[in-house]
Amino acid sequence: MSAIAPKFRFSYFLRSILDNVFWIITLLTLVGIPLAMVLFFYFELPVMNNNLTSPYLMLTTIADPSRQVPLLKSIMHSDFFRITAFPGFGFAALLAAATIFIERKMLAKLQLRVGPFYCGKIEGILQLAGDGLKLISKEIIIPAKADKPIFWAAPVLFVATAAAFVALIPVAGGGWVVADVDVGLLAVFAIIGFFPVITVLSAWSANSKFPFIGGIRALHQMVSFEIPLILSVLGIVILTGSLNLSEIVQSQIHYWWIVFLPIGAIVFFIAMLAELERIPFDLPEAESEIVAGWLTEFSGMMYGLVQLGSYVKLYAFSALFVVLFLGGWNGPMIWPPFPEDIIKNGIVMGPITAHIPGLPLLDQQMINDVVWFVIKTMGVIFMILLPRGVFPRIRIDLLLHIGWYKLIGLCFVNIFIALGLLYAGVLGPGGIL
Amino acid sequence: MADAVFLAISVLTIGSAIAALEVRSLIYGSISLMGTLGGVAGYFLLLDSPFVAMFQIAVYIGSIAVLILFTVMLVRRQLIFIKIEDKRRRYAGIGLMLIMMVSLGAIIIGSGVKTMQTDAAPVDFRTIGEDFLTYYWPALVLMALILAASVIGALTLARREDMENEQRTD
Repeated sequence: MSAIAPKFRFSYFLRSILDNVFWIITLLTLVGIPLAMVLFFYFELPVMNNNLTSPYLMLTTIADPSRQVPLLKSIMHSDFFRITAFPGFGFAALLAAATIFIERKMLAKLQLRVGPFYCGKIEGILQLAGDGLKLISKEIIIPAKADKPIFWAAPVLFVATAAAFVALIPVAGGGWVVADVDVGLLAVFAIIGFFPVITVLSAWSANSKFPFIGGIRALHQMVSFEIPLILSVLGIVILTGSLNLSEIVQSQIHYWWIVFLPIGAIVFFIAMLAELERIPFDLPEAESEIVAGWLTEFSGMMYGLVQLGSYVKLYAFSALFVVLFLGGWNGPMIWPPFPEDIIKNGIVMGPITAHIPGLPLLDQQMINDVVWFVIKTMGVIFMILLPRGVFPRIRIDLLLHIGWYKLIGLCFVNIFIALGLLYAGVLGPGGIL
Repeated sequence: MADAVFLAISVLTIGSAIAALEVRSLIYGSISLMGTLGGVAGYFLLLDSPFVAMFQIAVYIGSIAVLILFTVMLVRRQLIFIKIEDKRRRYAGIGLMLIMMVSLGAIIIGSGVKTMQTDAAPVDFRTIGEDFLTYYWPALVLMALILAASVIGALTLARREDMENEQRTD
């Protein structure tokens, strides 16, 4: 007899569960399936195996798992899936979550600590889920004198801007990108321009000292490092003659641009660190000086959203680095082909043979592309995380000095190298390589 | 579809332009100014010129609006909410705007814009770039010289020899 629930009986517990199961089954058969049927008549159903799906066929897929494969395939090629799941936000958020965990563990190892250890038994792999639950369940506190509309909107806008950035990144060949725009690189810089606005507005709206100082610092830093960021990729635009990110990746089949434009890559990387507010450029969030910078007044899930946005932004920037300088998804074929046997004969399990039509759900090339892309992106993310364990924070006047004098000068050197390669006839349209 | 989008963008642009002038808080005013500039970018997208639209967003929202916001935030709080009410100025402004709009509209309508083909293919930005490098190269060189001169001038003005290495001990 426990003290928390004195009237507890195991039989009551079982009966309540059985009751729930009974009602769920009853409601599903009486209401759920007819409702699904009605909805199927209204939705536009996908074409499977060259014949239009009828609502009856859709219902049979619920009973027969082997018929769900073509359905899954058609869902995977829909726009909704692209925006929410694979090359879009879901994929980015997953990689961002992995980044947070890797960052914490790696920093701990660098500093001879243990890091997350207890959640999930094995090296604390469930720490992130625990943190997420904590953030969701915490109360959201708004400062009394805050400007409420802007304060509420800022975290949402931050995540939305980061998601818009992710939408422009091509992940694999064959059009695995949410928005394949002709002026992709310019669109990226147009979107990056929104980050300082959102940062400084949220900092102002909190109506508090530390966020305001952090916001002003963020504005200085982001605005001055946007210029070298844009100038450092001009070399690639000159050599490829294209602003489309997919075309830029396709131009790197034989060699990566980092081979010819290493100065541009270094400048882009440093400017990227500053745009991401990573150490050594984390002045806007300098936790030992101004509490948490422009994030000070955020609490609960608002803070969680800003963190999610900043890690999605980190993924997007490192993916952009991979796309521009490291050859994107290009790489040797390492993914084994799907076994022909299963396509022809089906899966044999003792006496039962399961024929599943349309089985290679994704073609070999696409999976290989994604593997290479993720490997390279994680490598760049690792290089972004590494300075956090090594470097101290830079002073703001030195930061602006680096941004306005040294990086912009190096950018022009990079542009002249690109122009030299182009006019010497080495690279570019009609070049020897 | 395009008409509905055009109407929506027009409402956004004009509405936020009016709000930018009428709202008491300078911060909200500059946010509505951003709405206006974004609406203009929307017009460029509707006109099949994403290149100009992206530059509109990057330059006007990403730099100029940020600059205005930055300046407004550094103003003291009492000055942000100050009221200077002058009816005559407002009416003079509205009248001036109407005169400008009517005369500009007359010029644009009289310039033969109505005879333009609306279903013509959009001009690729690569073609514009080629034109700049071949036919219009003196203009390009002139612009480049002016920009280079202004950048060098800005760097010279921003240079402060007296502040350098002040806190360093080495």
